[in-house]
Amino acid sequence: MIKTERLTKHYGTIHALSEVDLEVAPGEILGFLGPNGAGKSTTLRILSGYLPPTSGKASINGLDLMNESLAARRCTGYLPENFVAPSELRVSEYLRFRAALKGLSRKQVPAEVQRVAKHLGLEPRLRQPFSALSKGFRQRVGLADALLGDPPALLLDEPFSGLDPLQREEFRTILKNLAAAGKAILFSSHVLPEVEEIATRVLILHQGRSKAVGTLEDLQSHLHEKAKLCVRLSEAGTKAHEVLAAAAQELDFSFEEQNDKSFLIELNDHSHRSDLFQRLAAAKLPVIEFRELRPDLDQLFRSLVEETAT
Amino acid sequence: MRAFVALWKREVFSMLVSPFAFVLLGVWFLLNGMLFVVALSTQQVMADLRLLPPFLFGSGMLVWLLLPAFPPLLCIRLFAEEHRVGTLEPLLTAPIRDFAVVLAKYLAACVFFLLFWGGVLLLFLLLHWHGGNLDWARVLGGMLGAILVSFLFLATGLWASSWSSNLVLGAGGGAALNYLLLFVPALFELNEGPLGSVARSMHLPNFLDRGFSAGLLDSYALVYLLGLSALFLFLTWMRLVSRRWVP
Repeated sequence: MIKTERLTKHYGTIHALSEVDLEVAPGEILGFLGPNGAGKSTTLRILSGYLPPTSGKASINGLDLMNESLAARRCTGYLPENFVAPSELRVSEYLRFRAALKGLSRKQVPAEVQRVAKHLGLEPRLRQPFSALSKGFRQRVGLADALLGDPPALLLDEPFSGLDPLQREEFRTILKNLAAAGKAILFSSHVLPEVEEIATRVLILHQGRSKAVGTLEDLQSHLHEKAKLCVRLSEAGTKAHEVLAAAAQELDFSFEEQNDKSFLIELNDHSHRSDLFQRLAAAKLPVIEFRELRPDLDQLFRSLVEETAT
Repeated sequence: MRAFVALWKREVFSMLVSPFAFVLLGVWFLLNGMLFVVALSTQQVMADLRLLPPFLFGSGMLVWLLLPAFPPLLCIRLFAEEHRVGTLEPLLTAPIRDFAVVLAKYLAACVFFLLFWGGVLLLFLLLHWHGGNLDWARVLGGMLGAILVSFLFLATGLWASSWSSNLVLGAGGGAALNYLLLFVPALFELNEGPLGSVARSMHLPNFLDRGFSAGLLDSYALVYLLGLSALFLFLTWMRLVSRRWVP
């Protein structure tokens, strides 16, 4: 649905994007992560048809952005970063204008405006001028604009910026529902927990290059070959030390006592997790917690960026 | 077509509710009223009112001073202001052809500028109602010529507006280009060689003074003005196309 192949963009001597490949299928939400200047907005602007790439291909719904730009733009809903509508227009006037701009007939326009306004909770604000809206409602108008005409692909640049926690929650639900309805969604964000919560897959971009792409679990296991476990016992003692020390030699792990009842274990091989658990169970140690400590997206992001910097 | 009409309507509406456009209109009416009175008080015009249209549209300050400046000021909101505020990006990523964007904005500006000329026409009507014996062929001819020149200056203003998000550069660039179109041929008009001949064929006040304001529909002037306007619209279109296609 949304696809780039070796997408590259140079601004003079600045390499904003270098050979970025990505693909978003219908019903999928791809979270686009990266520090400022990583090339997220450039990628989205190329995919929206606003900027041309220096080289590489970009397509929406199989339509090439360079050769079939108009048709590709018909299949795309785009929410730019810092979305602004003309201040002299009321919300309903703006949405009617945008619906007509997207080619909807005079009969279709009111129903379509009503549909997106209802979907995004904008009905009470339809008569207000855009300039009188709060940041959250402005973002909603931008998303409503993107949804007009029911495009199969959505490109959202920092959709959560400036939203309060309640609005972010609502936005998350809306995006999840849209993906469930079969939309392919590509969104960029700085808010890592948001990405973690709703993205089906994540693409991490740094200095214009794709550093990692996959599900969060893929990235976690790929980036951290060693598995960290927290094992807590209801009662500890020399027996626990003896069992762990014996198992450490066979299963190739190191352990460290955190306090008198819990241990931090670092396994060199992920697949030994179940073996370790069986050993503990066989030794009849009173295990009350056996938990893998996975790095969250924040840690992954930091480690990738630090890795690139070194 | 639907997208084109929607954009044209929105542009006209935006101008109709723009305080800046009405300030421009007010200043235009005021200055034109003053120029009209000055023209009426000259001895030649007092002696023969038929000389008023060529005086006003051909050799007067209206064409040499006001006309090059006002259309670019009206045009700055069409691209430069949209670019500055951030509404250009949603517009250019909508499924509408670039040429339709250029044409819709240009035609909206043209329609709004007719209001400016409506004020000048009102001055002639007032004179007529107060017993002035006007030659209406000359008045309407002169006005048509001036309207076509203003449409040309709107096209140059639109082109200048498409280059920058800086409003001063947008308006100043358009006005500078318009003054060049007026003054460069005037500088070489008296040259007796081919340069002078080319300059005379490009001298805009000549079209107004000797053609339109004399009640004549000069086909050369018509083609020249419309052709030059089309050229600047084409250049504006190329500017948008290059933004989208040139890496």
